[in-house]
Amino acid sequence: MFKKVNSAAYSGLKSIGIDVEVNTSKKGLPDFNIVGLTSKAVDESEERVKNAIMNSKTDFPQRRITVNLAPADVPKEGSFYDLPIAIGILASSLQFEVPEKSLFFGELSLDGSLRHTKGALPLALFAQSEGYKNIFLPTESANEAAVIKGINVYPIKDLDQIISFLTGKIKLEPAKYKSKDKKGEDPEFDMSEILGQEQTKRAAEIAAAGGHNLFMIGSPGSGKTMIARSIPGILPGLSNKESLDVTKIYSISGNTAPGSGLIRKRPFRAPHHSISKVGLIGGGSRPKPGEVTLAHRGVLFLDEFNEFPRSALEAMRQPLEDGQLTISRSKERVKYPSEFMLVASSNPCPCGYLNHPEKECDCTPRQTKRYQKKISGPILDRIDLHVEVPSVDVEKLKKERRANDNEKSKEIRKRVIKARERQAERFKKEEIRTNAEMKNRHVKKYCELSEKTEEILSQAAAKFNISARGYFKMIKVAQTIADLDFSEEIKSDHIAEALQYRTKMNN
Amino acid sequence: MTKGKIKIKDDRYPQRLKSIKNPPEELYHKGNFDQDIFNKCLAVVGSRKMTKYGKKICTKLVSEVASRGITIVSGFMYGIDATAHKAAVEAGGRTIAVMPCGIEKIHPSYQVDLYKKIIKKNGLILSEMSGKKSPAKWTYPKRNRIVAGLSQATLVVQAAEESGSLITAGFAKEFKRKIFSVPGPLNSKVSIGTAKLIKDGADIVTSGKDILKFFQPKQSNMTFKQEDGKAAQYENLSEKEKIVVESLQVEALEVDDIAQKIDSPANKTGTILSKMQLKGIIEKEGNKYYLSDF
Repeated sequence: MFKKVNSAAYSGLKSIGIDVEVNTSKKGLPDFNIVGLTSKAVDESEERVKNAIMNSKTDFPQRRITVNLAPADVPKEGSFYDLPIAIGILASSLQFEVPEKSLFFGELSLDGSLRHTKGALPLALFAQSEGYKNIFLPTESANEAAVIKGINVYPIKDLDQIISFLTGKIKLEPAKYKSKDKKGEDPEFDMSEILGQEQTKRAAEIAAAGGHNLFMIGSPGSGKTMIARSIPGILPGLSNKESLDVTKIYSISGNTAPGSGLIRKRPFRAPHHSISKVGLIGGGSRPKPGEVTLAHRGVLFLDEFNEFPRSALEAMRQPLEDGQLTISRSKERVKYPSEFMLVASSNPCPCGYLNHPEKECDCTPRQTKRYQKKISGPILDRIDLHVEVPSVDVEKLKKERRANDNEKSKEIRKRVIKARERQAERFKKEEIRTNAEMKNRHVKKYCELSEKTEEILSQAAAKFNISARGYFKMIKVAQTIADLDFSEEIKSDHIAEALQYRTKMNN
Repeated sequence: MTKGKIKIKDDRYPQRLKSIKNPPEELYHKGNFDQDIFNKCLAVVGSRKMTKYGKKICTKLVSEVASRGITIVSGFMYGIDATAHKAAVEAGGRTIAVMPCGIEKIHPSYQVDLYKKIIKKNGLILSEMSGKKSPAKWTYPKRNRIVAGLSQATLVVQAAEESGSLITAGFAKEFKRKIFSVPGPLNSKVSIGTAKLIKDGADIVTSGKDILKFFQPKQSNMTFKQEDGKAAQYENLSEKEKIVVESLQVEALEVDDIAQKIDSPANKTGTILSKMQLKGIIEKEGNKYYLSDF
């Protein structure tokens, strides 16, 4: 007897429909085979399905069973074919009809229950675009899929439950989306907790407002990491579309917790510097998203920037420039989005105490130079804001703690949101949204400089040896400062402040 | 570029060097070897671990002195040595770099740009060793004796205890030459040596004038260009800019300290500091701001 069950697979972030064809035959010895370019996880599905059915209130049919995953030339990976395979087998042995326009999806446990399976949200999106009506998937993954409206998402506990439902013995209610985000939640790290470091905090605010990348150089213990961790708290919240994009990436890469819904917090990724190129960029023979993609719409924090493998940093150029990257492998080619804000930090020299007011640095100029040169010019060029984080004097901190009138992240965020609104208005006819994304033609078109500003700019270019690229970077930063200041044009004060954040590393 | 070897019997061999206890038998040189360059020589030595303070003071003193025709002699090491050579070249003066290695070798090799500049600007590279011999622990003190031997006076900018700079100063004392020492903050390692020299009778240097007086006692016109312009530069300052100048006259400060002094948020402070930098009133070295004319 032949049965067909619908499911879906994904390649990159795109989903494709997969037909799970199950044929049970009385002819020949009992056997169980899965074909269709399967990977190890799919092959092992045989044992899971067999045991799960045996541990349910039904028998595993003593037939010759052949499962074909079509189209047969697309590589299949993952454990979520367990449920459609089991349904196909049971449909023929128990003689029920597989409901039409339905997708089945989920990993089985040996006892017949269903486990949280990655990729629920992309599946629901696929169902929506292809006109499917029902999705059957594990209870713990249901909330994620229920985000998508217009589809019945049936949360399934175990095989017995779905058999009873499909044979008409019980009724099931489709899941309703339960929002998990608490309103008015305070950010994990608040800018007000950071004492001193006014200029660095200001640089973080500008970076957040204009979507600029930020580079912090400072001695150990000066608070670079604290500031980086507070940046998500001053960024505007995720829009619905952004939230969906982020959740999709996290769902496919298996980073969503059981029972979770849409991700509302901006991602903050801080990989250790021992990360490989593939870990950072993504890849593998079956391409998987890397940290740059997991940080999409959020912050990618690279602490000890110069300690990262050079090959990994160089590979970041395309995602930094284009906001997406393409990974090509012999079997497939996938596109991943990567619009993140890069926050990098590094020590000024190998020992970390160059320019420190008290501790002596014992690096030779040559060591320092070599250390700083580990970051290539093209990468530095893509970072608009550079700031030196001074080391903190403990005595001074005590004094400030008493004063404690530091601004809360919430207040800073209000300004950031207003500045972003101005940018959205400015670029409504363009495909870009922030000042940082401006190309030279945008700068020429949109940035208005007063005569006095032009004068200061050329003065600065001569005095500080600013390159043509540096010149445009400066205008972009000044534009963000002007936006934070609600100014229509870029004033000389704005350029003057932008000068503070220029590159000081001579690469 | 001229290259050559001068033997001790040669007339062109610098007289002052010949008078020391064990002068080098042969001097290898690169660059313009003429007698004028040995006329008035000041050795400028100091620590490799120069601080920002040392760098500023060294640059200031050397440019004041070198622009008035005094040759700066040093050892081409990174730190104070390289700063002294650089300042001399930039002030339009002449300078002699005495190498601790063979004449054909540049040590440290990454200072090749400075090496070329010294020769281009009519300076001289000297060594008592030929070929590409590598420097060794014992070649540095030997080199130092030439540095001190060539010069009427030795200026020590920053020196730690038991440092090469003190060895040079020791040679200068032995050759009965003048020793100048720059005072520095006592909580810095590289001030211990200079303080010791002052205790032992070295002259304290607070301005280029102190050195010039030694070389040209009769010269009367001793005002420096910067001093003339100083008053004009400080006119038309805003209230906050005045506070910045006054604070920096006391000590160099980081940006957040300045923000506190002028009681302004980070963005305003940044604007003020950038504008003052553009006007040339202040400059930034490392994390700190300094007044440009000191």
